[in-house]
Amino acid sequence: MKHTHKTCGSPEHLLHRRLFLQGTMAASAASVASFNGLFSVPALADETKRRGKKCILLWLCGAPSQFETWDPKPGTPFSGPFGAIPTNLPGVQISSLMPKCAGIMDKLAVIRSMSTEPGEHFQGIDVLTRGDKPRQPFVRPILGSVVAEQLGHLDSPVPQFILLDPCPEGNEFKGFKAGNWAGWLGAQYGPVRAGGEYSIPNLNKLDTISDIDHQDREALRSFFSKKYENDRRSQAAGSLNAAFDRVKGLMSCAPLFDLNSLPEADRQRYGAGAFAQHALQARHLIENGSTFVMVANGMPWDNHVFQHEMHQMLVPELDNVLYQLVTDLEDRGMLEDTLVIAMGEFGRSPWLNAARGRDHYPKAWSLAMAGGGIRGGVVHGATDPLGHEVAEDAVDNRQLFATIFAALGIDPHEEYDLPDLPTFSRVEDGVAPIEQLLV
Amino acid sequence: MKSITLKEKHRHKLPMGILSMALLPDGVGLVAGCMDGVYLTSIDKSREPKLLYSHGNYVSSVVSLGGDTIVSAGYDGTARWFDLAEQKLTDSVKLHDFWSWDMTASPDGKHLASVTGQYLAGGYKYEPQEESEPSIRVVDVASKQIVHSLPHVPSVQSVAISPDNQFVAAGNLMGEVRIYRIADGELVSQWTTSDFTSWGIIKSHCYLGGIFAMQFSRDGKHLLLAGMGPMRDPMAGNGKQLWQKWDWQAAEPKMIDQTHEGDAGEGLMETLAVHPSGEMFAMGGRLRGGDWNVALFDMQTGDRMAILKLGFRATEATFTPDGKHLVIVGTQGQPSKPKPKGDGFPDFGRVEVFAIESEAT
Repeated sequence: MKHTHKTCGSPEHLLHRRLFLQGTMAASAASVASFNGLFSVPALADETKRRGKKCILLWLCGAPSQFETWDPKPGTPFSGPFGAIPTNLPGVQISSLMPKCAGIMDKLAVIRSMSTEPGEHFQGIDVLTRGDKPRQPFVRPILGSVVAEQLGHLDSPVPQFILLDPCPEGNEFKGFKAGNWAGWLGAQYGPVRAGGEYSIPNLNKLDTISDIDHQDREALRSFFSKKYENDRRSQAAGSLNAAFDRVKGLMSCAPLFDLNSLPEADRQRYGAGAFAQHALQARHLIENGSTFVMVANGMPWDNHVFQHEMHQMLVPELDNVLYQLVTDLEDRGMLEDTLVIAMGEFGRSPWLNAARGRDHYPKAWSLAMAGGGIRGGVVHGATDPLGHEVAEDAVDNRQLFATIFAALGIDPHEEYDLPDLPTFSRVEDGVAPIEQLLV
Repeated sequence: MKSITLKEKHRHKLPMGILSMALLPDGVGLVAGCMDGVYLTSIDKSREPKLLYSHGNYVSSVVSLGGDTIVSAGYDGTARWFDLAEQKLTDSVKLHDFWSWDMTASPDGKHLASVTGQYLAGGYKYEPQEESEPSIRVVDVASKQIVHSLPHVPSVQSVAISPDNQFVAAGNLMGEVRIYRIADGELVSQWTTSDFTSWGIIKSHCYLGGIFAMQFSRDGKHLLLAGMGPMRDPMAGNGKQLWQKWDWQAAEPKMIDQTHEGDAGEGLMETLAVHPSGEMFAMGGRLRGGDWNVALFDMQTGDRMAILKLGFRATEATFTPDGKHLVIVGTQGQPSKPKPKGDGFPDFGRVEVFAIESEAT
């Protein structure tokens, strides 16, 4: 299949995507309808909540330890101080820090044989969010942008790709966040960022301006902007118009971004931390029409030191969040159509360093998925007894992305022709999905 | 002021990383709490290291109660009594559901105190969740019964008992110190210093760091704390090598001294030891940047008296009873591969002994 796009990943797109990331595009926009009012029209509600595959990415940035999550090595010198426990899959053990996931392993697919190349964060994040290494001069779109473009509704008032991340900083992740996420797909497929300080301010219409005045102003702005775009053939103006359209949608669905509007019982159940709260918010956003929500919390998993102190907190939080998400989605009849992925950019070294932390290790690591076309109760691949090497069924980034795309019903091998650029594929070299993991 | 020189006398290795140690009454024997169990060895290499027993997890602390009795505590949450003469475990007491991060014995050998706690998110900004079990357990050695279960905010990573056997102090990840009277379990002092804890603003939103070691001065008037100064990037471990000296008996506990400007590099400090004379103390840990990872300080002035740059992380330091030697144990980074012939891993626990040589200046 061929796919042709007019956008090119120019600096203009970068500029406007940054506006999205910072939420500043919302500052001067006008409201068109309340969220509740919007969804009181059944046809529109149906359209907005179009049934289709969706995805929640729990982005474990910094790279979690496979030994303290999905691939413990009890009884070895590398096992670390956290033990291993049995799961509801006979013969399969995971970290003792994950008792809740141990009870739903029949719903999860764990890959214990991830083996990738980049050993530094920025490059690892790039490859594990886009699916491949950079291939200049174009910028490959991030997973969320592809899913939003392929499965989302650009006309939906609910943003189709949302990044929930309260951390304004984050070392390499901060640098990555400042880059071009949507790549050549263009600004309209970039993420809307919320969470913590990114609360998408100024979404409420001023009381001093009537609805009619708002509509008149927006009509005038739209007319002149469109005229400018057409007269000058300006992609920047086009992107800006897309941004304004997005703002209108955002204003209409602002309540979706209000954590305080979520049921207290649900908030308690998910746990108190920002990551847990945003995972709940992700479920809420998916339920209400978003297509891809990426939940991050800075870059907390990079535990070169304080490995014990950090993993004692991070892994139990992940355990509960994944359990709540999967069981919630199943209870609501949404798991079949919603893919949940929990992964970072690589794993951690088998050996503990002198500071009893674990260092970067892309050679043999683990991740987990559930729902959305992925078969539950599968542990794919294996590492050797000490976790040094992949012993069975190594999986690289291309196989992973081919599997994710296939599970979501997206053609992994679609080809793209961009002006003056070589043809490329969504997943290069015809790499096949992992059949064992697909429903 | 005395000029101090630390001269290496002995060094040897144990198979696994060493997290704790205790000298035996003969001043030569040494028991080491390691990642795989408790070893018996000696400071002068006269005894071949021998694995005595295991906890099923890391051994975080080991103490000698005099005679042939040692007690260890581990990440399995238990305290275990071992008779060196009989060469057998004599008792095991469940202290905590989570790890024992640290355990100590009172100088009179009548009480043990152990601390625990798992840091779990209790708020949006990762404020610590309330404890799910008492963070401090005080054990009567004679009866092996828990006599006090005292509250704190988890995780509680360090504990000390005063020289007069009357008070137990415990410090946590948040930099909070609580001191209880052992006789009745009453809280007698409490304060928080933010100097040992970082709020993650770079890579993560959570709290990291804390008070990793504490010791009372010989006169009991002051409490020394050790750890690492705040870091902008909590994962880097690049905070200042930090000790503080507190007047804990003041109506408002008051910090009266701390690592002097120019005396410290970067790294997490995990151990404190007070010299038998009470005139100086040692602090040690992991070197991140700078020229020492173990140093001696004058108790009175706080001046740095001597430094060591060891090629490993110092997890515990102690002075021999005669005050003539400083004994340091620790661990190198774990070897990445077993020995080629399949005979286990290269040894990476370290024991080093230094003679303390001084002359008046």
